[in-house]
Amino acid sequence: MTSLKRSFANDASAPNLSSKVFVRATKSGKVQKIVRELYLRQDIPCSSKLCSKCLERAPLNYHNKVPQFVLSDQPAGTKLFPHGHYLVPDTNAFLTGMDVFEVETGFRDVIVLQTVLEEVKNRSLPLYHRLISLTKNEGKRFFVFFNEFRLETYVVRGNGETINDRNDRAVRQAVKWYEDHLQVASAVISKSRNCPAIVMISDDQDNLRKAKGEGLKGIKLSDYVSSLDNADELLDMVSAGQEQQAVRSSKTEMFYPEYYSLSKMITGVKAGTMHQGTFSVSPYNYLEGSIRVPAFDKSLLVLGRENSNRAVSGDVVVVEVLSKDQWKAPSSKIIEEDTLNKNDNADVEEGGESVVTERERRALQEEVKKAHGKGPEGRPQPTARVVGIIKRNWRQYVGHVDKDSVRSSAKQSRAQQMVFLIPMDKRIPKIRIRTRQAGEMIGKRILVTIDSWDRESRYPVGHFVRSLGELESKGAETEALLLEYDVQYRPFPKTVLDCLPEEGHDWIVPPLDDPGWRGRRDLRDLLVCSIDPPGCVDIDDALHARLLPNGNFEVGVHIADVSHFVKPNNAMDKEASMRGTTVYLVDKRIDMLPMLLGTDLCSLKPYVERYAFSVIWEVTPNADIVSAEFTKSVIRSREAFSYEAAQIRIDDASQQDDLTNGMRTLLMLSKKLRQKRMDAGALNLASPEVKVQTESETSDPVDVQTKQHLDTNSLVEEFMLLANISVAGKNYQAFPQTALLRRHGAPPKTNFEELANQLRVKRGMELKVDSSKALADSLDTCVDPAEPFFNTLIRILATRCMMSAEYFCSGTQSYPEFRHYGLASEIYTHFTSPIRRYADLEAHRQLAAAIGYEQLDASLQSKSKLEAVCKNINVRHRNAQFAGRASIEYYVGQALKGRIVDEDAFVMRVFENGFVVFVPRFGIEGLIRLREMETPEPKCEFDGERYVLKVLGKKERGFELFQKVRVRISDVAEESTGKRKVRMEVL
Amino acid sequence: MAPISQLLLSPAELAYLHHSLTLSPPIRPDGRIPTQFRALVAESDILPGPYGSARVCFSDGTEAIVGIKAEVEKSKVKFGSEEQRLRLGEGEGDDDDDGEATQRGRGQGEDSWVDMSIEIPGFRDDDALPVFLSAMLTEALLSTDHLRDRLWINRRFHWKLYIDILLLSPPLSYPLPLLSLTTHLALLSARLPKLKSELDEDPLFDDDWEASTFLYPYSKTGLRVERPPITLLVMVAGANIIFDPSKEELAVAESVIAISAAATSGEEVAKVLAIRTIDPPSRLTPPGVPNIINTATGGNAPLSGADASIARETLQAQNVWTPPRGGLKRGMLSLILRTVTEKGGVVDEVLEALDAISVGT
Repeated sequence: MTSLKRSFANDASAPNLSSKVFVRATKSGKVQKIVRELYLRQDIPCSSKLCSKCLERAPLNYHNKVPQFVLSDQPAGTKLFPHGHYLVPDTNAFLTGMDVFEVETGFRDVIVLQTVLEEVKNRSLPLYHRLISLTKNEGKRFFVFFNEFRLETYVVRGNGETINDRNDRAVRQAVKWYEDHLQVASAVISKSRNCPAIVMISDDQDNLRKAKGEGLKGIKLSDYVSSLDNADELLDMVSAGQEQQAVRSSKTEMFYPEYYSLSKMITGVKAGTMHQGTFSVSPYNYLEGSIRVPAFDKSLLVLGRENSNRAVSGDVVVVEVLSKDQWKAPSSKIIEEDTLNKNDNADVEEGGESVVTERERRALQEEVKKAHGKGPEGRPQPTARVVGIIKRNWRQYVGHVDKDSVRSSAKQSRAQQMVFLIPMDKRIPKIRIRTRQAGEMIGKRILVTIDSWDRESRYPVGHFVRSLGELESKGAETEALLLEYDVQYRPFPKTVLDCLPEEGHDWIVPPLDDPGWRGRRDLRDLLVCSIDPPGCVDIDDALHARLLPNGNFEVGVHIADVSHFVKPNNAMDKEASMRGTTVYLVDKRIDMLPMLLGTDLCSLKPYVERYAFSVIWEVTPNADIVSAEFTKSVIRSREAFSYEAAQIRIDDASQQDDLTNGMRTLLMLSKKLRQKRMDAGALNLASPEVKVQTESETSDPVDVQTKQHLDTNSLVEEFMLLANISVAGKNYQAFPQTALLRRHGAPPKTNFEELANQLRVKRGMELKVDSSKALADSLDTCVDPAEPFFNTLIRILATRCMMSAEYFCSGTQSYPEFRHYGLASEIYTHFTSPIRRYADLEAHRQLAAAIGYEQLDASLQSKSKLEAVCKNINVRHRNAQFAGRASIEYYVGQALKGRIVDEDAFVMRVFENGFVVFVPRFGIEGLIRLREMETPEPKCEFDGERYVLKVLGKKERGFELFQKVRVRISDVAEESTGKRKVRMEVL
Repeated sequence: MAPISQLLLSPAELAYLHHSLTLSPPIRPDGRIPTQFRALVAESDILPGPYGSARVCFSDGTEAIVGIKAEVEKSKVKFGSEEQRLRLGEGEGDDDDDGEATQRGRGQGEDSWVDMSIEIPGFRDDDALPVFLSAMLTEALLSTDHLRDRLWINRRFHWKLYIDILLLSPPLSYPLPLLSLTTHLALLSARLPKLKSELDEDPLFDDDWEASTFLYPYSKTGLRVERPPITLLVMVAGANIIFDPSKEELAVAESVIAISAAATSGEEVAKVLAIRTIDPPSRLTPPGVPNIINTATGGNAPLSGADASIARETLQAQNVWTPPRGGLKRGMLSLILRTVTEKGGVVDEVLEALDAISVGT
């Protein structure tokens, strides 16, 4: 009987065949044994320019060419390897030192083994993506060598060998092969030539020892980095996690409870005994976290460090609800980390300390007392404790070094020490970083990442990535903002720019016989104009109106035809879909699309012909829609107005030309449309909007103004809303499953509980929240005749109780859920700003397909793909808003720099030891702490149910919610951090 | 037993065969001694895909392959079980978690967790032969607790074991011993992914196949704690007990039984798990015609069928082949059992030989 068994190890007939066996669990919980056959080949090139043999044998790529070889023939040398070297990092080198490898100035000619790449992918997906983008970076010369597919470098797993050992052996085998291979290759060129060294970088002692035994060059990452010129800076960038473990292993004291095993958590979540959600920390109290879980209406509180158990804001965690006797009320006190734990020493390894400092414990204790209050605000709420982390959402954090944590003696020296980094985001705990350049870091904005947070360490441990520049310098602060909100601000890569039309700025609408005109209507004779904020260069909308013979009006909204230039799935589309939106900062705009399109070819500039996507309605003089029509078109805008200019032109009775009359018609109709919308229950919400006036040259802030609202603003707004609603209906009709829409969920009543109670207690006003109409009406009644701003304040507070609007794919929700609560519209989408929002671009494509202009791309027909797009643009959209707001905040601060201003302010929130005020003039909130009012901190009485804080200092005075106070605004540089802060004092 | 192809032997040949088998010692057509099995070639763990596999070839050309796969399945809640009480929230029944961790799952397994399918060329899967064979093999597998217990993961999940038996050759003789031996080897080579999760959590497994554990694990001493049972085919001819009968021998068997037995470690004697009597094909063989009623030899042929049978019943002709009738004598059965189970008996011998295969390949 001949054997049926295929034994790979010793089968001479099939040397290039192997197999791999592993177990895989499917999503449905099935467990499969997977056998993969491997076909080993010998033509995978080494990709070194030294080697001519590989060049001959290398397989051709798609273009029938041998891909360009990556590794230089004259790689750089170091002290240790003077003849040049190629680096072959092991997995752990990438895991701990990815930031070092990304350094622009060094670390070139790196061979990334497939074994390593796969291991990195298994261990950390973000790091894997970074590594992939490194290999795409031509200047860095990173080459992925598929060693598992090459016959000579493939290793069979031995009997009883662990996977790790096998992979280490594979790495060594590849190093060995490279060494021998290049030896031969360089000998071909010239006998005397020194072959570059192949250096394996690994932190695994055992691996290094074995490499030495085999005569290979192996070195620890830290040792290698130490031998480089700018070692100090680079060493800081190596992750701290691993080495420390060895040092600390003797210690047994653990500060935090251990996490549950993954399977236990999954079981618990499925069974409903545990809950999964995203952990978020209160911006007022760093010890109080909350987590929204699907099982409950209200979020669960997570109080104290021990309960939050090393979760960082943003992590996806699993919590267990605590027993009822541990339920507490949410904090009524402001607790900030830097004031409470100012004196921590970063270098002390927290020997006898407990995880909760005495002060923290006291702060919590006081809260428990409060928890027994009876008011709705003081009622104990369910609390929970974190039992495990499903996914860490650690990113890079921007912050500054705590000056106090730097040993004074060490400020000049290069000795390594631990320092605290205080993140800009108050919800993130201090991060301990090990550095040799503590002295230089003081007073700088610094980017760090968190490496680990072990049970035995009170604070997470991280490492330095790079310095952004001086604190408060515009460049550093802006970059910090962009990094904090994850805004992609690098210039567009070449692949994206390649997608632009070849003509560049010379592109013009082609003559009538061009295929570009197919299906396009010629609307060049319409009197179209655009109205935008002053200085706007990316004009995506233009309007026209004219009287029809039957007494009705024809109204047209013309939107830049971006989808003509950005075709689905090319590099530009992918980049735009990743960026999701244009981000507007005070002095800067981070575009979603390259400048050429955004500000020129797509922009509906006046006096030139442009492609457009038009929505044309027939409207009765009462603003009732008779019909709507959608078409691709060509228009020529007659004028580009600013809101103000348009207003002046309309108000100027002497102007009687058709264009101005058209605008008057638009204004008249828009007022009627708005009234209808309000009658239907649309909300008029307010958010503090201010404008920073900057000097034109230096863009230094000069003054801050609240934004003016003109009639022409709402003129444009009304027609944009109308266009969006019309398009949403059309798209949904054409693609009931995959239309990209935007919804605004009705907020749960509990969201308004607190505000309603505050209004009832303080003003005896009733807030009805049954429907958006009821809310709109009751908001209208919340007026204080003595204080016109009071209504706006309530609207601002009400806005904060709302859910945020979101993009979604129509197949994922039922029709009643489509509703836009704020606009009181049954269906809504974004269509009118395709230059700056990706959602609009997708809506354009869908509409074009709906009217039969072109085929719908497959990506817009797949629900899952569209969902992924929605998820991304929702996040990007939110981040862009935050970034914009933060930018304004920063500039407001800068505008106030060195000035002292007295302003009116309103109390928005009352705590036990302070209160928050809102300054309408600057649109800023400020925290006023009792201890800042007088020293020593005055005694006070806090009535949480009546929202009154009575201060019993030298001067007895009371503060209550919604009260108007006069505050003095100044800016102070905090002594410990050197950071400038807006400071408010009550007058 | 009818479906097996009938051997076309004349009554005279049958009588000759039967006679030689009843001698002491019996003379088997292929020269084996009574307890000797047909020569076989075997290898285990031949296929990469399944969790365990084996292949056996008998010298008469019959050949079988067995593949074993397992799937994680959710256990049904048994009425009144601890699990149900837990789900209903009646009492925290965690009392057995600590002290008796090793006892978890004992006796919790169910017969439905093993699914066997037998494919024989020329037969439908609901034909009597495959169904009967699979019933016999499954019965033996499930007669001890070990396999069921091994399939128990936790109170909520279990492995469902699929044993796929494929007979590659036409069933020349009764394929029971072949299939049983192949299944035995496959089960010995079968492994299950290593469990990583604890207690009653949703199961998670180690993704390293090398870490998987044997379905029939080894003890620390390097011996199997328990081994799968084997099912032997035994026939009786006169006073002789003949193991692993070939098709010719079966054609003259007086009675045939299938005995499932297993050796448990620590016990001297193998344990009999199940016995089934099998209708021998010899019952359907054509009887010889005695001279008395054969006109060719000067006898008088009976006029009707009834006469013929009366004539046969009353005749005590020993020299003519008569299909065997009646069952197995008690004494014979106990003799068979002794031969099978005694120390160094047939079961021991077979298992020893099979062990050598599974270790050797």
